[in-house]
Amino acid sequence: MDTYMSLTAYGKNAQTALTDASRKINELERMLSTTIPDSEVAKLNETLHFRVSDETAALLRTSLQYTQSTDGAFDMTIAPIVNAWGITTDAPRVPDENEIAFLLNYVGSTHVHLDGNTVTLDAGSAVDLGGIAKGYASDCVAKIFASSGIASGCISLGGNVYVCGNKPDGKAWSVAIQDPQSNNYAATVALSDAFAVTSGGYQRYFTAENGTVYQHIIDPKTGYPVQSDLMSVTIIADNGTMADAYSTALYVMGEKGAVDFWRANADSFDMVLITADGRLLYTPNLQNKISEPEGASYDFQVIDR
Amino acid sequence: MTSRSLTVNLKPTVLDGVVVAAVIAMSVLVAAVFYGNKANDDKLTAVVSVGNKVVDSLPLFEGESVHTYSNNGYTLQVSVTDHGVCVQESNCPTQDCVHTGIITRNGQSIVCLPAQIVIHLKGADLGAPDAVVG
Repeated sequence: MDTYMSLTAYGKNAQTALTDASRKINELERMLSTTIPDSEVAKLNETLHFRVSDETAALLRTSLQYTQSTDGAFDMTIAPIVNAWGITTDAPRVPDENEIAFLLNYVGSTHVHLDGNTVTLDAGSAVDLGGIAKGYASDCVAKIFASSGIASGCISLGGNVYVCGNKPDGKAWSVAIQDPQSNNYAATVALSDAFAVTSGGYQRYFTAENGTVYQHIIDPKTGYPVQSDLMSVTIIADNGTMADAYSTALYVMGEKGAVDFWRANADSFDMVLITADGRLLYTPNLQNKISEPEGASYDFQVIDR
Repeated sequence: MTSRSLTVNLKPTVLDGVVVAAVIAMSVLVAAVFYGNKANDDKLTAVVSVGNKVVDSLPLFEGESVHTYSNNGYTLQVSVTDHGVCVQESNCPTQDCVHTGIITRNGQSIVCLPAQIVIHLKGADLGAPDAVVG
């Protein structure tokens, strides 16, 4: 992982469970990273034709499903454009219009061909599972906790949070949502057995020579960093992979698109949207779980079904 | 040879009284801070920072637990008990964090420079969240 992670477990099998979980996360990184040269994903991107493991093949299929269900707002084939911008690297830059238009030709699910475990990419295309890898890793840790009999635990993989059961004192875990505009918390949510993931342009960005700020989430349809009316999207669900994919996709969609998407899929997740005009919108299921911290600077509103 | 007599006036002045009052006030203040912190030792929290960012707040009064933190390619396994916190294992080259041993008192820290991870004990903040997204 190119970020910090913390894993916490309580109970007699805690140490074994955490050792197994750490081992699994490292294994996933070696398999899915685009920057480790001999990872399956790096080899696929390099050779364009590669036989991957069952697990990677399944995750590629899952990723394609999320591309379909979000109408392309989440797309692992955005990799060539993300690389061109280099926003998360030490050398970010602003590609010119022609370069972006050219690279957009290689973005889209139609460029990925899966035949069993054999994957073929069209020339010029590449995949990056970074948008769901941490969420998938948290799903794997949840399974390890369950099989180890861990009844209480909490993990954070670079801000992708999974809380297992309740805290040892029986209370729900308190999960805070970062305020995009300060070092404070915008809200806290009391959660048990849930995954929570936040995406927002404030997390990573760079300022170009002319002063324009470019944030790191690229719209797969335009090839440019998203100009969103949202500052952050937090998805709360019982599936970490989905929460990870949807947090990015709904940020790309903007407020109206995110709310419409939730209304069409309201049974599968909850969400908290922080808008650029200072509102904090949350879904009705969170009504008794969400708390406004002292001195909160947002106008809390429930989203109508 | 000549001699001179030196006369010293030892009678207290108003200014002396002000100084004595200030010393007493400062003593009370220092005692309050010291004993106030001692009282906090009953409920300690281990605050874990990675880089300059606080990533975890671990109460020492919720039973034993084990935590794993990774950064910069190094992984620390941290053990928390009712009376202290220590780094059990680390793959960092210096092992200073492991050799620090268990810390038990308000204000103590374990620092792992290679991983840029700091574990600091402070009085419990009962309102602190268990995790942060974003």
